[in-house]
Parts: sequence; structure tokens; C-alpha cells
Amino acid sequence: MEKTYLGEFEELVLTMVGILREEAYGNAIVNEIRGRMEREVNLSAVHVTLYRLEDKGYVKSSMGGATAIRGGRRKRIFTITNAGLNMLHAIQEKRMELWKLLPQLKFADL
Amino acid sequence: MKTSVQPPKWAIDFLEWFCPDRLFECVLGDLLEQFENELELYGERKARRRFVWNVVRFFRPGIILRNKFKLKIINTIMLLSYFKIAIRNIRKRKLYSFINAFGLSIGIAFCILIYLFIQDEQSFDQFHVNKARIFRVEEKSYDRWSEDKEYPYRHSAYLQTGLMQVLKDDLPEVEMGTRYNSGGRGVFRYGEKVFTEKLTYVDADFFKMFSFPLLQGDAEKVFKDKYEAVITPAIAEKYFGDEDPIGKAVEIDVNGVATYTVTGVIQEAPANSSFSFEVLISQENRMFYERNINQWGNYSTPTFVQLTEGADMKQFSANLDKVIEKYIAEDLEEWRENSNLPDDVKLLELQYSNLSDIHLNTKVSWQKTSDPQYSLILGGIAILILIIACINYISLALTTSTARRTEVGIRKAAGAKKGQLIYQFGFESIVLALISMIIGLGLVVVFLPSFNEFTNKGITLGGASISGLLAVSFAVTLLIGLLAGSYPAFFLSSFRPVQVLKGGFTSKLNAVFTKPLVVLQFALSAFLIISSVIMYRQMQYITAKDLGYNKDQVLAIPTQTGYSKEGNKMVERFRNYAAQEPSVISVTGTNSSFNQGWSRSGYEINGEQKLAYVYVADPYYVPTLELTLVEGRNFDPNLASDSSALIVNEALVRDMGWENPLQEHLNWREDSTGLGPKIIGVVKDYHFLSLENEIEPLLMTMNTKDAGFQTTMLVKIDHGNIPESIDKVRSLWNELAPDKPFDYTFIDEDVAKQYASYKRWMNIMGLSTAFAILISCFGLFGLAGINAMNRTKEIGIRKVLGAELMSIFVLLNKQYVWLALIAFTLAAPLSWYVMDQWLADFKFSIAMGWELFVVSMVAGLLVALATVSYHAIKTALANPAETLKYE
Repeated sequence: MEKTYLGEFEELVLTMVGILREEAYGNAIVNEIRGRMEREVNLSAVHVTLYRLEDKGYVKSSMGGATAIRGGRRKRIFTITNAGLNMLHAIQEKRMELWKLLPQLKFADL
Repeated sequence: MKTSVQPPKWAIDFLEWFCPDRLFECVLGDLLEQFENELELYGERKARRRFVWNVVRFFRPGIILRNKFKLKIINTIMLLSYFKIAIRNIRKRKLYSFINAFGLSIGIAFCILIYLFIQDEQSFDQFHVNKARIFRVEEKSYDRWSEDKEYPYRHSAYLQTGLMQVLKDDLPEVEMGTRYNSGGRGVFRYGEKVFTEKLTYVDADFFKMFSFPLLQGDAEKVFKDKYEAVITPAIAEKYFGDEDPIGKAVEIDVNGVATYTVTGVIQEAPANSSFSFEVLISQENRMFYERNINQWGNYSTPTFVQLTEGADMKQFSANLDKVIEKYIAEDLEEWRENSNLPDDVKLLELQYSNLSDIHLNTKVSWQKTSDPQYSLILGGIAILILIIACINYISLALTTSTARRTEVGIRKAAGAKKGQLIYQFGFESIVLALISMIIGLGLVVVFLPSFNEFTNKGITLGGASISGLLAVSFAVTLLIGLLAGSYPAFFLSSFRPVQVLKGGFTSKLNAVFTKPLVVLQFALSAFLIISSVIMYRQMQYITAKDLGYNKDQVLAIPTQTGYSKEGNKMVERFRNYAAQEPSVISVTGTNSSFNQGWSRSGYEINGEQKLAYVYVADPYYVPTLELTLVEGRNFDPNLASDSSALIVNEALVRDMGWENPLQEHLNWREDSTGLGPKIIGVVKDYHFLSLENEIEPLLMTMNTKDAGFQTTMLVKIDHGNIPESIDKVRSLWNELAPDKPFDYTFIDEDVAKQYASYKRWMNIMGLSTAFAILISCFGLFGLAGINAMNRTKEIGIRKVLGAELMSIFVLLNKQYVWLALIAFTLAAPLSWYVMDQWLADFKFSIAMGWELFVVSMVAGLLVALATVSYHAIKTALANPAETLKYE
């Protein structure tokens, strides 16, 4: 696998795209991050990150349905690609390996 | 839609403008969705506000750059076409484009140089890692000699030698501290190699506090011993070549020769450092160190401290006050009582400045400070030149506008909107400005060495500064392009196609616009001309002024002995040696030469405190400098009593109000009579200080009793073959003192150095003036050419009707003479004001007579006439048969 660096925020957004599946569009991701991570993010930041992920090939997008609340504008729905999924897995594995190397706290040391 | 509340329409338009089409729909959708949610959460007003803010947040590179330049307003193909037309136009009107590009590129080059200057000023001492925690401790002391009675205080960075240890011991905030004395030269010897080197005295913490990396040696261990030396790589190379300098024993002569071990090599200080050094040795080796360390009131040592992380500055100030209270309060009270000083004023206070601020702080005397005003003046000059160049652009564009009317007409007829035409012309000027920027950058590279010389700086291109530099030049370029291009763009695009294409338009000059511009341009140039003429005259005055002594062919040679009896012996022996040498006319010894530092002494007369400069002289001092004795006699080597006698200058006599000075004594120091030394002679006032000062009271003493104050030898040589005479003096010196290096300066050069910064300013003004005149002249040349061209037919008819050549010449030039005269009238008061301020620095200055203004005006007029005459002559001489052929 090609070693492409994934920033912390990129990783977060990519994970959210994976979680939300058919409902993964800009606003939904903002709300999801707010709800689950208790973290305020700006819509524009999420959009830019989504486009960047698309450039890198970790997500793909298609136009979804329009609703009245959106003034008749359609949503752009993002779906995670296999490459994106692999990337998330790889990050997770590497992290676990490193975690195992971390000396565990023992009460005796304290 | 559920609600009728809508987000601001303009915000959506703005989004549509910059957001790529592909993304616009989903972005707007999301924003609207968010807006609906927030409408319920926050209410209408806040939701609208947040909507706008969110739109603005989308205005970021990650979105805009996805546009692939598909801006709605100008599409890529049109832009290409504009570019092509711009290039074509630039090539078609070569002279006109050259004038514009030339002026703009010089303007840009000036701006960049000034940016570099200001950046360099700001970057002083910024490279120290701990700069935020490093402070210079300063004293603010009551100054009863002060001329400013409102604020009789003196700020000084020179502190008591022992203070640093007190600060380190008594103040918990002080983590480290070092004293720093740059000054004095000492003889440095390693084997056969002997030179004098600049010595700098510091303490061990110096190497830990400041970020001058130790290339060799250990910052923690250096200066544990008194006799250690740290040197720069250049010194290491000079004495040791390729050998390892660490551990080498060298001899340094500071108050007597001692052996030092080299224990470190420190990287040279960059040009933008307040500190500089070549050979660093411990403070403990400074002259009179032992004596000074416990002596409060002897202020000679700049002191820097590094505070602990997060130190409370208020507490630090309070603790500094406590130091004064604890150590010196009693002395101060005594001083107050003895000298009848006011009861309520604080006589002495310790203050501090952050390291980053000391370079631009001119209030506290320090080497290498710089007045922030200089940056302002330079910036002002750069802006003047830019304005002149922009005016060229505007007036030339306006006057050539007739030629482009047809183009505008056709474009409009073909459906171009006014906005598009504005973009086209604006774009054109930006293209020209960009070309100028490239030339300007080239000019910067070419001129940087001379600029450094002018400003006494060591600015280099490259490194971290280059990106900032490019950003600034780019910004300046765009600004110029917009400034210079906007007016012509609006003007040209306003032509009505019907009128233009019908062919009935006149080709008259837009005199209403161009004339004020030319006047403004000329006034700016005139301001620079007058100012440089006045500066030049003042510098000439200073260099030519009779100083009251003869400074020619006098060498100042340091005896390299420090204050010791050896100095007097050296001078004595040299004089005897040189007696047989015809090229040496006279030899005298003194405590300091001109511009090499002075000492002043106080004396009291009728309860009043006075100060006088003290020169240690000998019987040969007066003849060597060709001073004039107005009363009394010179020192006599055969009269023992003369060793305690004084020669004073007229200023001192005036100051004392003496009717008959030769009957007087000056209780300047103790002597057997109890009255003080007797006055035996009065010398005519001479300018021993620079001309920025009045002639101050001065006294000369032989001072052979204590001996040891002759540290400089002044040698007057024959004016015949000077290099040969210097060689003679050198060989005499080498015979006499083979172990001491022969350093000499000419005192006239030393004296000239006092005015070095004024001279630099004169050079900078002169250069800017030359460029400003050149640019204005080019503009005028272009204007005159177009004007003459527009009037060829008129001239042709006049000639046919029998007009004289001269009258046509006058006709064509008359208006420029008027414009130039108006410009001078406007510029004169401004230059008078500014130059009056400048001349105020000098106690001896020229009077700004009207003749200086007339000279400047005539010079300016001549230049302007010469510029426009080419076209006038050409047009006047043209054959009317040719010019009227097609009528």
C-alpha cells in the first residue's frame, strides 16, 4: 500500500464517512462529530477535508436527493472506498502495535 | 419552504462567485440546512450572522483553488487575450513602455531595498533563543548638568561593575547575568604573530544566555579561570591557521602582559546583533576591575540579566529598587546634601529594557542603536519615488488615450461591457508592473552592495527572508499596478463608441488631469533637489570649515601601553629618535586623539559646578596642531613648575568670566598653593568636538607629575611624499618598540568619521534625487513628445504663416516652465521646513539663503527644459510640407 499520510482530522472525517454510510454528507458529518466527539467543527473545514480525501481516493461522491429544507439543493453523498477502508485498518493496526510497546503502568512504580 | 426567513442574498452571491460550480450546489445546500437548524436554535438575527460567517469561512484555498480559474467574471480565454493585447501594446509603444517600466522598476527596487532595511532593523537581536527573558539593566539618574530642566535625567546602560553579582545574589528572579564591555584594543601575541585585537569583556554566563554558538569548547566550563580567552574563527585562523586553537597559550596585553589559554571558539555575531566581538576575555581582567568592583558611583559596565521562566516583572522592578535602597541610599543622601540637590527627586533608579528593544531605543546610549526615524525617512523616499513613477504611468496613459479610442470603440460596439474594459486596462498595467518587478528585483541584486555601504549595513539576500521579500515585492507590484492602472482604466473605458467610431473626436491633451499630475511630480522632485543641495552645502561647509587647528598630515598612533608611565616614555623616546628624521616634523603625546573619546572633569567656582574637557598635553602639543595662543605662553619643558600649570581655551575664560586669565588659578585639583593650578596660557577656540557641538571649555595639563596619561602619540609628518613618510615612521616605531604593533590613523580621517552618518544620509538623498529626477524627466519627455506630436499640424500652419523658429520653441516650452515654477513654489516651503529640522542637529550650520533655492530651481528648470527641448526642436524644425501633407 502506498504510504499516504493521513492527518488527525482527515482520519476523523473518513471514519465518520464510514459510519454514516448513505447519510454521509457535509452537514451530517458536522452534526455527528459534534454529537459523538463533543467537538465543534466548521462546515467549511469538513467540506475541504472531504474534497481532499476524494482527491486522495479514500472516498467517492455522488449527488443525492434534495430536500425542501435545503432550498431544493441536492446533497453530495460521500462513500468510503476500499482504499479508504484499508487505510483506516492500517492505521489501527500500527497504533495497536505501538500501544503494546508502551510500558504498562504498575502500581509498584508509583 | 416552511419559513419566509432567508439568509442574506449577497452572501449567497459571494459564495457563488468564488465557489467552484461543481461544489456550489452541495455547499449551499449544507449551508441552508444549517441555517434552518440555527434559525430554531438562535433566532433570526444570529442565524443570519452565522450564515455570513460560515460563507466567509468557505473562502479558503481548499475551496477557491478548486476553481481551476473558472471565475465567473473573467474567463481564462479572455484573460489570455488580454495578456496578448497587453504584450502587443507594450511592444507597439516601445518608448512609452520603456519609460513606464523604467520608472516602476526603480520604484519597486527602492521599495524592496527599504523593506530590507526595515526588516534588518527589526531583526536586531531577534535570533537569541532566550530573548524574551534577557534584559539590559539601566540606570536613570538625576543629571544636574542637564540642559533640559523639565526632565533632568540621564539614561545610561553603564552600571557599577559590582552590580551584576549583587543582582545575582539578591534577586530571586535573576537566573543568570553577564556584563559586556566592548572596548579597548589589546596586543595579542602568539609566537611570531603580533597584532592589536578588539577585546570584549564578558562573564561566564554570556555563553549560556546568548545564542552565539560555541563551535569549540564547553559553554558550561568556559571562563572558570580568569585567564581564559574565547575567540572567533577568524581570529583562530589568523593566529593558528589549521591548528586546533583549543588549549593554545597566547599573550594578551591588558594593563600588562599575561598569558591566556584559548578555551573556546565562538561563532561570529551576525550583522544584526547589538553585540560584536573578536576576542572575549573575562571581566576580571578589565582595567581597574578590583578598584571598581566595590565602588558605587563608578558607572562603566553594561549588565544583562536573564530572568527565570515566568518571573514577575513587577516584583523584579520592586527588587531593583531594594538594591538601590540597600547599597547606595546613603551615598545618594550624602550626594544630595553636599550638592544641594532637590529633596523630592529620586536621584537614581534602576530600570530595564528587553533585549529585543535595545536597538531602536535611542534614549539610552549604546553602540549600534538606530533611530526608528531613519526607517520612516527611507520609507518616505521610497513612496515619493513610487508616486512619481505612478504619475508617469497615469499621465502617459491618459495622453496616449486618443490612440486607443478606436480600440475601445470597436470593443464596445462588439458587445464588450464597461467592466470588461476596465479589467482589460487594469490587467495591462498589472502585466507592466510585473515586468517591472522582475527588472526591479534584478536592480536590487545589483544595488545591494552599494546600498549596504550607504546605510552601513550587511544585508544579504537569501535564507529565510527571501519568501517575505518576494511576498512584499509582489504585493507592492500589484498595488502599483492597481494604483497606476485604475484611473486610466476607468477613463479609457468610458468612451462612447458612437462618438469614437464616427471619427469626430478631437485629439486634445487631457490637460485638466495631466497638468496637476506633472506639477505634483515636479514638486516632489524639486523637494528632493532642494534638500540634497542644502545637505551637500552643509557637508561641504563642515569639511571646509577652519577648525582652528591643522588636522592635515597628523598621524595618531596609540602607544599600546594603557595608562602607565611607559606611555610617556614611549613618546619621549620616539621624539628623540625622530629628531634626525626630516620627514617627521613634530611629535606630541596626549591622552586621546580627536574622535577617540574624551574625558571631562568638573570644578567649582563660586559654588557653581562647571565641566571642562581635559587634554593631557606636553610642550609640543600646541605647535603640532598649530593652535594659536592668544595670551600667555606654551608649556616650557625646562620649567618644573609648568607640570602643574594649565593652558585653557577662550571658551573656558568666557565661562569663568575672567578679565585677566593669566592671573587666575583653577581649583580643578589639589595642589601646593591650595588655589589650584595656575593658568599660563590661553589658546584660541578650536573645534576639538564635532560641529554638532558648541566649542566647550577645555583645559590642557602637562601632568608629568603623575605621568602615565599619554596613551596616544600625535606625529606631524612632512606633506611631501606621505606614503614614504609613513614608512619612515613605521620603521622608527619598529626599531623602538619591536614587540608592539604599529597602528595609525590620520586625524583628519578620524574627524571626518564624526560625520559619517550625515554623509551616508547625503548619499542616500543624492541617489534618490538622481533617480527621482531621472524618472520625472522620462515622464516629461514622453509627455512633451505626445504634446508636440499633437501640435505638429498647428506648428506647420504657424510656420507657413511665417512664425519664427524661436517663437515656436518658446510656444512649446512655455507651459512646462510654468508648471516647473509652480512646482518649485509648492516644494520650497516643505523643503525649508524639513531641512531646518536637519540642520538643527548642527551647532554650526549654513544659513538657508534664498540663493540655494534659486540654484536648485534653475538646475531643475534647466533639466526640465533640456528634457522637453528635444521634441520642441524636432517639431519646430519639421518641414510643414511634410506635416500638412494630408490635410
